Amino acid sequence: MNFEFDRLSREEQDWLDEYLDGTISSEDFERLQERLLESAELRFVMRRYLSLDNTLQNEGGEAGFDSEGATSPWLSAGGAPREVEPEAGKMIRFPGIVPLAAAAAVAFLLGSALMHWRTPERGAGLLRVETDEPSAQGFAVIERLFDATWREGGSAHEEGGMLGREVFQLASGMAEIQFFSGATMIVEGPAEISLKSAWEASCLEGAVRIKVPPAARGFKLQAPSTEIIDLGTEFGLVVKGGEGHVEVIDGEIAVRHRDEREKLLGKDDALVLKSGAGASKIESGQIAFPDLTSYGARSERKNRSDFQRWTSHRDSLASDDRLIAYYTFDEDERTPLVPNLSVPRNPELDGAMILAEPVAGRWPGLKSALEFRRPGARVRVNIPGEFPAFTFMAWVRIDSLDRWYSALFMGDGYETGEPHWQIRDDGKMMLSVMVDDSRPNPYRANDAGFHRVYFSPPMWDLSMSGEWIHLASVFDPGNQTVSHYVNGSRISEQEIEDDYLIERLRIGNAEIGNWGQPFREDPTFAIRNLNGRMDEMAIFKAALTKDEVARFYEASRADRR
Amino acid sequence: MPPDSSPPHSEDERYETFVSRFAHFEPDLRRFIRSLLPTWSDTDEVLQQTAIVIWRKFDQYDPETNFMKWACVIARFEALTYRRKMARDRLVFREDVMELMADEGGEEVDSRIREHDALEDCLLAMPEKHRQFLTLAYTPGVKVKEMAEEAGSSAASFYMRLKRLRRQLMQCMESKLRTPDIGS
Repeated sequence: MNFEFDRLSREEQDWLDEYLDGTISSEDFERLQERLLESAELRFVMRRYLSLDNTLQNEGGEAGFDSEGATSPWLSAGGAPREVEPEAGKMIRFPGIVPLAAAAAVAFLLGSALMHWRTPERGAGLLRVETDEPSAQGFAVIERLFDATWREGGSAHEEGGMLGREVFQLASGMAEIQFFSGATMIVEGPAEISLKSAWEASCLEGAVRIKVPPAARGFKLQAPSTEIIDLGTEFGLVVKGGEGHVEVIDGEIAVRHRDEREKLLGKDDALVLKSGAGASKIESGQIAFPDLTSYGARSERKNRSDFQRWTSHRDSLASDDRLIAYYTFDEDERTPLVPNLSVPRNPELDGAMILAEPVAGRWPGLKSALEFRRPGARVRVNIPGEFPAFTFMAWVRIDSLDRWYSALFMGDGYETGEPHWQIRDDGKMMLSVMVDDSRPNPYRANDAGFHRVYFSPPMWDLSMSGEWIHLASVFDPGNQTVSHYVNGSRISEQEIEDDYLIERLRIGNAEIGNWGQPFREDPTFAIRNLNGRMDEMAIFKAALTKDEVARFYEASRADRR
Repeated sequence: MPPDSSPPHSEDERYETFVSRFAHFEPDLRRFIRSLLPTWSDTDEVLQQTAIVIWRKFDQYDPETNFMKWACVIARFEALTYRRKMARDRLVFREDVMELMADEGGEEVDSRIREHDALEDCLLAMPEKHRQFLTLAYTPGVKVKEMAEEAGSSAASFYMRLKRLRRQLMQCMESKLRTPDIGS
């Protein structure tokens, strides 16, 4: 057959790419479908293109898989397949990946004898980062926010969030929106912007500044009764009470106001656009358009001062004599060790980093974190001794809870006195300590031993993906209570019944971010790596009070959300 | 009757046959399903459902006939069922479009295999840097923004670059299929 990609119209070619990237507009998707019904050529080329995408996804995706992943010849050609050097010259490792869903289905079908997936759906999602699909929808991304607040009833946004066809409402502050066409829009609140596609938006109210690089020339911005086409570089628009004011900061734009002829505006030209009247030229420089430089500097200063506040908190916390160990996961290229910062310093308690990746922490550029995305990622520690109580405290950023259990801090063998601190896939925090590993668990005959898991109410869902949160859990034999905290607030407190009371606590070999020694008979427990990052963990041999947890949270938080 | 000629298969044997057939055709089946649905995760879900149905109906399959054809019929049905469930999702094909794509796609399984082989050659011939970029771009779990950040570029230029490389590969693949000694 002679059907080829280049024979499609440019429009059709673009539709195919936008369909693959999930950025095609609803109108264009409709038109694509209409055209598909008419054109056998388009159908054929589209199937071929989707098949190409499928090959890239299958083989690209599996490259990072630890051992079973099929290595395709093109991935192993020339250098290590699992490490990629992007242009910036920094090594990035692949996060841990995905066996094919079908393999999971087969495993399911093989019967519960081999692997106990709870349901077939589970099997498919076991290793998959489920947050990706929703976040990949859209045609623009919020690059940065500065003191942004949101209109009541409107949706709130986060940095890095995707935007699709929607009305973006900003009550105050500034937002920098990057369209996938390449155009950048800086919005100053209060503003209301209707986002239409990667190439088009409409300013209903507020002040915007648009920068258009050559690749995005032709970006259209609508103001009341007016269409503005950017022919390159930069312009500003303020819309207030139905009246627009446009000014070219650099380059050239084309303006069509109502049914007037299109006007070309060059650098420093300015127009007032009245809905009931013609567009009239005015002097430039009368209106201030959003300017990021001052905001950027302010936010950078704030960031720095928050970080400094945290470092002094860190130094005082390190000499708290109730600490068992304290890790802040700062990147040090010279060593794979994760130093224990508690004073007096005891290098025996340093952790060993395995497959965990240094990534940006709560203050990007200032503080690093460790990411445990690969199934094998972990930090191993060995903490001898006996303790009267436990408090676990950590700053984590969860991407998704796609394991049954996502590990925070786990004693290896779960023997008597050892703790398990983790999060279940329904967002509940769990803390448990093995009470007696030689006695059977009365509730579950085949469970590990006599112990009880103390659950918090669900505290996490997908909407919090990517957000830094402060978690703390306290095991307090003295008061016979277990408490869970999120961002300094106690969300649950439960009693330790007499039967389940244990007063001599231990840790021994343990892991941060994963579980090293699952029960051999029960392979479903094998994958518990935290799909996310952690940039601080403190373990105390005492039960911190409600006020102390709140204080530690306040002293260590980054305000920038 | 001597055991080696006895036709009644035990459950285990039946299962082994299923697994070996399915494993063999899984890549083809996945490509077929991918052409009907908007995303990889939709594809995974339908592929999994298809695997389950194929197993359930496996005793209806006549081993003398083309397994892939049979599997495509099941996958087509499963994709349409999934479509009804997902119909409000904006990028899901209308029923008539999906049917047409499935009917034609089912006839093109062999072309897809040739295309796949040609594509592997193209990937091998591609500069290492580009290949790495693609690998990274297609790694599940990668967030465009973070990746762009780490590589020091913007999300927009990331998408542009991805599009350019994908089209280059498509052209390379098409040119290989055009040469008579590879194409049929």
